[in-house]
Amino acid sequence: MTQLKRLSQEAERSLVRRLKAGDERALRELYDVLAPWVLGLAFRILQDVDEAEEVVGDVFVQVWRRIDQHDSRRGPLVPWILSIARNRSLDALRRRRRWWRKVERWERARGAGEGGDVEPASAPHEASVPGWPVHREVHAALEALPEEQRGVVLLAYFEGLTHSEIARRLGQPLGTVKTRLRIAQAKLAEALAHVKDWLA
Amino acid sequence: MTDWLGMAAHPRPPRPELKGRVVARALASRRRGAWLGAAAVLAFLVGGGGAFWAYRTIDALTAERDRLAAQVEALHDTVATFIHGPATRLIQIPVSTGGRVGAVTIFADSLRHRWLVRCDGLAPNAPDQAYQLWFITRDGMKSAALMPMDTDQPMVMNHNW
Repeated sequence: MTQLKRLSQEAERSLVRRLKAGDERALRELYDVLAPWVLGLAFRILQDVDEAEEVVGDVFVQVWRRIDQHDSRRGPLVPWILSIARNRSLDALRRRRRWWRKVERWERARGAGEGGDVEPASAPHEASVPGWPVHREVHAALEALPEEQRGVVLLAYFEGLTHSEIARRLGQPLGTVKTRLRIAQAKLAEALAHVKDWLA
Repeated sequence: MTDWLGMAAHPRPPRPELKGRVVARALASRRRGAWLGAAAVLAFLVGGGGAFWAYRTIDALTAERDRLAAQVEALHDTVATFIHGPATRLIQIPVSTGGRVGAVTIFADSLRHRWLVRCDGLAPNAPDQAYQLWFITRDGMKSAALMPMDTDQPMVMNHNW
């Protein structure tokens, strides 16, 4: 594990250096490794392939143009890119929420699909996807949370709801929601503390 | 906590054609950014050059204005001391030219040998003519100056001899 982490960090540093130097091949390599995860996250939030692909484009444009803003001292590259993807997706989701008819369609799709629960983690054909072990670890950390804590985390992260909105959605007191989120965050931080990076 | 939560979502293999579209869009955005940057630099240089030129021009005009103001002030002092000097005599002569009644006012400083002649109400000259100012001396008439008077405005002439 230690050796893998070291190699990954070296690979990331090299990739970031090349991206900053304007190496187009580095952009293609980054896309090959991260596009499935960015698309997966965007789709998880938006439940719409076209919009999710649009987000993928936005994310890689932003990464390519703003790579100088990535500070490796504040964290690895992948979470930085995932945070861009999440923010872009939530922006799109909020825009869409203003359009009531599309919201209704989205709710129906969600009702018919996975709902607010965690997706199953095991899929043998996906095990070869780079980053899959991290996916499994994040999944396991989420699965380990009690149902009520996992629910608020998913609503906050994947739907971008505020504490008050979560409280209204779940019919729970605001204080309860805040407490559950705080406890869940502490547990996740502890469970994922060893995850550094997986670009290799 | 949320650093890695995005990895909880299932990866989705993008359609193969998406890569070309995304990469092309990203590369185009940086080129556009470079062009915009170059345009901004050019605009800055042009603006900076214009500002420098304007600064230099305003500076030069201000200096010229100050120089002229000082000159006017000096002339004003000269005229004031001349007109109000104890050795200055005032001579006013009514004149009639071309049916118009006017006046010639002469300030004569016998101490410094200076004259100031002001003509009011004289008929304008024809373009090729001028009023002639004469000194009458013991040796006869001597031309002092020509006084073109081609407008209706008063004419003032300073003369030293």
